[in-house]
Amino acid sequence: MNASFDHPVLIVAIPLLFAALCPIVGLFNHRLCIWFSLLGTALTSFLTLTLIGGIGPGKSLSYYLGGWEPPWGIEIRIDLFGLLMVCIIAVGGLFLVLYSWKYMQHEIPEARLPYYYSLLLLIYTSMLGFCITGDIFNMFVFMEIFSITSYALVAISGEKEAVRAAFKYLLMGATSSVCILLAITFLYSVTGSLNMLDTSNILRHLSPDYVKVSLVALLLFVTGFSVKAALFPVHVWLPEAHAIAPSPVSALLSALVIKMGVFGIFRILFTVYGAGFSHVSANWKTLSGIVAWAAALAILVGASFAVAQKDLKLMIAYSSVSHIGYIILGICLLSYHGMAGGFYNILAHAMGKACFFLVAGCFIYKKGLRKIEDLKGLGRIMPLSSGAFALASLSVIGLPPSAGFIAKWNILWGCVDSKKYVFMAVVLAGSILAAVYCLKVVYYLFFTGPRLDNTRIEEAPAAMCIPAALLSLGTLIFGIFSGTIIPALNSASRILMIK
Amino acid sequence: MNWSRILQNFNYAVSLLLFLMGLYTVAVKPNLVKKLMGLNVLETSVFLFIVSIGMVDSGQAPVLGGETLHQAVVNPIPQALILTGIVVAVSTTAVALSLCLKIHQKYDSLDAREILGKVVF
Repeated sequence: MNASFDHPVLIVAIPLLFAALCPIVGLFNHRLCIWFSLLGTALTSFLTLTLIGGIGPGKSLSYYLGGWEPPWGIEIRIDLFGLLMVCIIAVGGLFLVLYSWKYMQHEIPEARLPYYYSLLLLIYTSMLGFCITGDIFNMFVFMEIFSITSYALVAISGEKEAVRAAFKYLLMGATSSVCILLAITFLYSVTGSLNMLDTSNILRHLSPDYVKVSLVALLLFVTGFSVKAALFPVHVWLPEAHAIAPSPVSALLSALVIKMGVFGIFRILFTVYGAGFSHVSANWKTLSGIVAWAAALAILVGASFAVAQKDLKLMIAYSSVSHIGYIILGICLLSYHGMAGGFYNILAHAMGKACFFLVAGCFIYKKGLRKIEDLKGLGRIMPLSSGAFALASLSVIGLPPSAGFIAKWNILWGCVDSKKYVFMAVVLAGSILAAVYCLKVVYYLFFTGPRLDNTRIEEAPAAMCIPAALLSLGTLIFGIFSGTIIPALNSASRILMIK
Repeated sequence: MNWSRILQNFNYAVSLLLFLMGLYTVAVKPNLVKKLMGLNVLETSVFLFIVSIGMVDSGQAPVLGGETLHQAVVNPIPQALILTGIVVAVSTTAVALSLCLKIHQKYDSLDAREILGKVVF
């Protein structure tokens, strides 16, 4: 056994260890926790990035926990989609921990900082675990860890609205978790296996008596994960929770946590049920069609609500509802270009939306401003963070050459492939609405307010500006150099569709 | 209606009843603590369902000793699953109750119509 063989476990084990030790470090020195968490996330990011060479389309990395072979033991299996997700989470988490350094000192009492970092590392661990596991029940456990920690993180400021938003989130989240647990039970009762690949093989040759039960399980899975992903009809918890949480937490929830719901839908629809099940029951295609319609409605409803908002963070939160729609629409188009586009939008949206929330946090930290109309002329006072916002809006709108453009282009291509021209109109209309709400903020930042010659620049601390600026540069870099990722995603999706 | 079928699958019928009761309580009752109780009933119904699928009539505990097993054994995996499920449910309830305490401190009420009704946005 060489060192690289154990990597997949270390990705989960290291941040878990750091999360457990964080409060102990906090006993000695509250301020030391930030360095401790930075070390943990940096180490995990490094280990995650070393995985890149070994995984490609149709080539995945497996590790059997405790040496038990797959149908019996828990398997860790990283395929290309999982790898993309863990890379986004690992590096994104590193930026958010760095940003939290200054912001959270300002937001919560110092004695509570160790617990904040502990929760941050725990949610980081569980999201990584969720994306690399090959076992359905293990996925449920990781899902519960990130759900419970996110309820706590929303409420961490202890303010009136925050506690209420967290409770609302908890009620919906816990009910959806029960749905998923019930779905796992139904699926287990007809397949007798919890391993994803094994279950997929059993479902392919499922006896007709059991097809109905497995369909009920599929429906419950999709419903449950839709709540986690804040897909349109069940998105009601998202705007409040994301707008009220402290800005690094909002960025974490919006950029990463809701993507876990999307990834859950993807894993269940395609890895577990997948093309094999579509030969057993035609209802699989109907269900993915319904999910695609819900996603299309989410694009329009989310974007329209975002246009109407007066509060900057609330606007960004509604924009997330719209972008989740794009991702799920891309994945459920049943076309490999669409799926590649959907997954690329996970990357693009994670960077763009995290940058938005971080910049909104800079404004709150420095000026205490939340309303969009109050941001008049702030672009001249805080040029770096406002510039980052403007650059990231290109990606959120989907203008070339940003990553958002590449993602939307592929989703449009997917619409053409599967001959669903209504969705093309929806995707374009969503982009126009996105242009309205993003450029409104950019307009207030740069083109209104007093034009004084001796404006003093009052920028937020470097530890807050730099993550925001790097994320917005990332949207540009991944737009220009998308040629390395898109072809791999395309062929991985093609393998998944044919299988 | 075939009553004997329902009696044979008594566990499933009870679990369904509990599930509906729990869902109703979570959705309808205005008191936040009652909502949490409903959530717990909901979770318990699923646990009952999970245990039931692993049950075998007059099955033995699946302990592999020195001698080979002659009788049918119950499936141990569902039991392992609910053990994890119970841990998860307890931690969710703990977080939820602490949020309830905070809400009571801030709003002086646990009535969802008063608290969730005051939506700022």
